Amino acid sequence: MHFHRRRGWEIPEREATPRHLVLNRRALMAAAGAGAMLSAEAQAQWLFGGRSGSPSDPWARNPGDLPDLPEAMRNPRYQPGRAVSPERDAITFNNFYEFGSNKDIWPTALRMPVRPWTIRVDGMVEAPGEFGVDDLIRRIGLEERVYRLRCVEAWAMTVPWTGFQLSKLLDIVKPLGSAKYVRLETAQVPPHMTGLRQTWYPWPHIEGCTIEEAANELTFMPVGLYGRPLPPQNGGPFRVVFPWKYGFKSGKSLSRITLTDQRPKSFWETLQGNEYGFWANVNPDVPHPRWSQATERLIGTNERVPTRIFNGYGEFVADLYTNLQRERLWA
Amino acid sequence: MMVFGLAMLLLAAAVAAWFGPGAPLGAVIFAIHPPFLNTLQAGVQRRLSPDLWNDAFLPLLEAPGWLVPLLLGTLFVLLGWRRRGHG
Repeated sequence: MHFHRRRGWEIPEREATPRHLVLNRRALMAAAGAGAMLSAEAQAQWLFGGRSGSPSDPWARNPGDLPDLPEAMRNPRYQPGRAVSPERDAITFNNFYEFGSNKDIWPTALRMPVRPWTIRVDGMVEAPGEFGVDDLIRRIGLEERVYRLRCVEAWAMTVPWTGFQLSKLLDIVKPLGSAKYVRLETAQVPPHMTGLRQTWYPWPHIEGCTIEEAANELTFMPVGLYGRPLPPQNGGPFRVVFPWKYGFKSGKSLSRITLTDQRPKSFWETLQGNEYGFWANVNPDVPHPRWSQATERLIGTNERVPTRIFNGYGEFVADLYTNLQRERLWA
Repeated sequence: MMVFGLAMLLLAAAVAAWFGPGAPLGAVIFAIHPPFLNTLQAGVQRRLSPDLWNDAFLPLLEAPGWLVPLLLGTLFVLLGWRRRGHG
């Protein structure tokens, strides 16, 4: 297997992003940099002073002074087949319900402290434990994978995640043979997660998958995005990604992973189970109750392209579902 | 108008009795129809303003569930009372 060793100064998306988008991004970054210099005092105030104003720079560092990520090689096994989305779009157009229903939740999310951050892994495992994110990064090591991301809302991005396979974490805790499902729990961080004020919702936000899905080579635990620490609006500091499922299945800002023999009922299943089910595998032929899934809009270019079954990852995951045809696999 | 007002007062009493006096309006609505508030929130925050939800809708939804029907009921009973020439 060939790995391309990325040097520190290289920007990963340059390899795949069209030149005009790269230049656009440079201009935006320059503007953001100038803005940062001009408003350093204001930014320090919102970062550390607790004022209620909004940050102006989506590249701002999070409270807690995140360490840089160690160098990670891009894994060439997972070719996205299309251009990487502009970084600015990826970090300013987000779904993270704990911070709100709107897409521009990043100014609120960026205030969430992300260090120290630990994740508990428990349930049906031989060696349960609580792990610091930075300890896991050192222990398991990192790689970069460029995955397509398909939202249930019929938009899509292509982003370079930095992280490790969930299976490597499972190797550490050693699942028992009786474990059938993995329950993924998002942290609750009031008052930063303003959505938690809505106490009637079934917090914490739960997602889940089968043990076979968790052990699949595609299931990835990102701690970084575009070579930088994963920002909270994208699920930082630590999340899961199932690239063949609709995005809402990929739990963000995880604080606990539990292996169990009971199928977890997810947050969205509880709220709108007829629209957001347990499996939620991407399928262009199965429409959402309120819209078609036949095509998807690429964020950054607004180009509309055909949706692919399993988001194009069928060769890796289709076998997982051969004996599950009675399940509602596509919603 | 008077009938509507009295119905709202009855509703306020029923909500307090059924869900408890401290249950927020949001919890009452969620118990009756779970997807409603999520859809409403998405509509308000994406099409109008995120702050409108946080600053106007949320405080209302956090108030006790009986409060809104009580206020509406009282208002309509008073208006109905005046309309009948008592005010």
